[in-house]
Amino acid sequence: MRFRRRILNPLTELTIAGLLVVLVLVIDDWRFSLGVLLLLVLPAAATSGRAGRIAVAFGVLAGPMLLFLLLLHGLFYPEGERVLFDLGPAAVTAEGLLFALEMGSRVAAFTGLLLTAALSLEVSELLDTLTHRGWNRKLVYVLGSALGLAPLVADRASQITRAQQARGLVVTRSPLSKLRALVVVGRPLIAGLLTDAADRSRTLDARGFAGTGPRTSYRADTDTAAQRMLRWGMLAAVVVFTSWWYFGRHT
Amino acid sequence: MISLELKSFAYDDGAVLTDIAFSLGAGERALMVGASGSGKSTLARVLAGQFDAGQGHRFVGTLSVAGEHLVFAGSGSDPRIDPAAWAQHVGYVGQRAHAHLSMVCATVAEEIAFGLANRGVPAGGMHALVDRAAARLGLTDLLERDPRRLSGGELQRVAIAAAVVGNPGLLVLDEPFKGLDAAGRRDLELLLAALGESGTAILQFEPMLPRDTDPANRVTVLSGGSMVAVGPDARGREDLGRYGIGVDGAVSDAAPLMSAVQERTVPAVRIRDLRFGYGAEPVLSIAALDVSSGEGVAVLGPNGSGKSTLLQHLNGLLRPDAGTVQVYGEDLRGRPVGSLASTVGYLFQDTDQQLFEHTVLREVAYGPRVAGLPRKEAERCALEALAAVGLADVVHHHPHDLGFRDRRLVALASLMAAGPRLWVLDEPTVGLDLRGRDILARLLRGHLGDGGTLMMATHDEVFARAVCSRMFRLGAAG
Repeated sequence: MRFRRRILNPLTELTIAGLLVVLVLVIDDWRFSLGVLLLLVLPAAATSGRAGRIAVAFGVLAGPMLLFLLLLHGLFYPEGERVLFDLGPAAVTAEGLLFALEMGSRVAAFTGLLLTAALSLEVSELLDTLTHRGWNRKLVYVLGSALGLAPLVADRASQITRAQQARGLVVTRSPLSKLRALVVVGRPLIAGLLTDAADRSRTLDARGFAGTGPRTSYRADTDTAAQRMLRWGMLAAVVVFTSWWYFGRHT
Repeated sequence: MISLELKSFAYDDGAVLTDIAFSLGAGERALMVGASGSGKSTLARVLAGQFDAGQGHRFVGTLSVAGEHLVFAGSGSDPRIDPAAWAQHVGYVGQRAHAHLSMVCATVAEEIAFGLANRGVPAGGMHALVDRAAARLGLTDLLERDPRRLSGGELQRVAIAAAVVGNPGLLVLDEPFKGLDAAGRRDLELLLAALGESGTAILQFEPMLPRDTDPANRVTVLSGGSMVAVGPDARGREDLGRYGIGVDGAVSDAAPLMSAVQERTVPAVRIRDLRFGYGAEPVLSIAALDVSSGEGVAVLGPNGSGKSTLLQHLNGLLRPDAGTVQVYGEDLRGRPVGSLASTVGYLFQDTDQQLFEHTVLREVAYGPRVAGLPRKEAERCALEALAAVGLADVVHHHPHDLGFRDRRLVALASLMAAGPRLWVLDEPTVGLDLRGRDILARLLRGHLGDGGTLMMATHDEVFARAVCSRMFRLGAAG
């Protein structure tokens, strides 16, 4: 059941996602954001083997924000002049829609990039790579415990929903009912996660994850010299591009 | 290997352990039995060096392991234990094996190696140690599997392998057999015996005295947070019963089989040609199963035979790939799970998965509330159910602050509060002590006596015979 795209090392994938976020913010053009979303994020998410999970997370995190942008700027954009529909106190204006598109595509690209990277990532391989690269142990610990939490959150949420349903919470196919279920799972989920997180940090401590000496790795290094060069190259390119964009372009 | 002289140990919220002294040499095996709330898990964590849980505590006594002698005076200048360094001498596996998983490892091999990697053991040495631990625990074929997709018994063995991979002198196990079927118990017992022969001392905590305890093993009783001296022959039921400890698989007053079956009514459960599988893998296949109103049916079968899968079809948590499931004459197809809660009460195998509210009262009142009862009325139902399970005095506690027995009873009360006619219980006796089993048996008999129906998955045939009128067996292939 696992169709994992396995082209690049997770650290390289994470670097690409991070740098693209920077570019989306720097370039700040809806065509670029939309291009990133449709040409990169969409295929990457679709082939990640976790498309469903990414789609749900994207809907929960970006959905309300996108809807809000559309309603607010689509209907009440103060500088809007070209009125498409007049609704009395509100009006759909072309400028408002364009502004909503700009903001919305940026938010969507931003969220899509980070979610796809985070949710399609093999945490253990990333930790192995960081260990082989000799990264600071504390950082490996923090990253590892934070990223390891994601599957825990998903498991815990589904457990609570099942328990609530078994006790009478009715969830039907309607989106409203699903949204309600999502809301009522929130509070016990957060409370439960705080307990779980405390237990987990104790477990990780007891197994020496928080130690100070050098760490080793069971698995052989999957990173390659070419990818290392690629990462540094991309980083340098984005830094150069950003400087040019802000300082060199207009001179 | 280890010796403990504990005068007192208390967390800030109350005294827990007093006057415990014992020592265990290389290769020795000892069993510590105690009822729920007797301090077993606390003592296990003290020995595992994991008592400094961010909570204030006072420990007065001495603890010696592998030549290291630590003196605790209950003051701020007491030695602090580094749990990771301690784990090299004392391996520890608590009650929930999956809580020992790092969640950051993709394979069983990496999970076993996690502690070694954190200590900086070179890859070559790590591979040799992992292979050896896997061979000792019968995990060689599972090394490349995803640890999050293992069965309970497999997971338990992975947790033990991870605890012994660095070859600690002592292994502390808190209820290692919890939830395992007869074959799983036998396998694990053999593996533990082999570990013992290779020199590992093993200290095992249990709520009930296992039936097949090796007479060579030392048995110590824990009661009310203290060690109780029992003679070598005092393993009889009456002696242990005084401390709320029973012998595994025993029910205090085994009543004759119930036969309150109401023949002419609609059957409570009617299953026809049920087939269910995960993906292409078939898990369950039942041609016909009828359960009459007022009948108690025990579902028996080894781990992985589909007992939980069957039960989850009875309230719609799972839906059949083919066939029909009817409850009180109504086809469950298309019925949302939640709409069945007032008819079918479901007790999950893992109680802690089931509890999600922050007070016992809110937890138990959840069902009636969500069914639409006003708050006062819902709380009245909850209080009634809590009184029935004997927990009327802890309504404002957080469920997780209760002992294991009481947590399970809270889960049972939360099912009862909605007043369902059909009770579906998944392994309700696992981990319960004598008192918990007595309360459970009384409640189940009462429910059946009132014309209610019961379906219960269990490994515990003795208990099943005491409360159920029929056994339904699932084979290894479902």
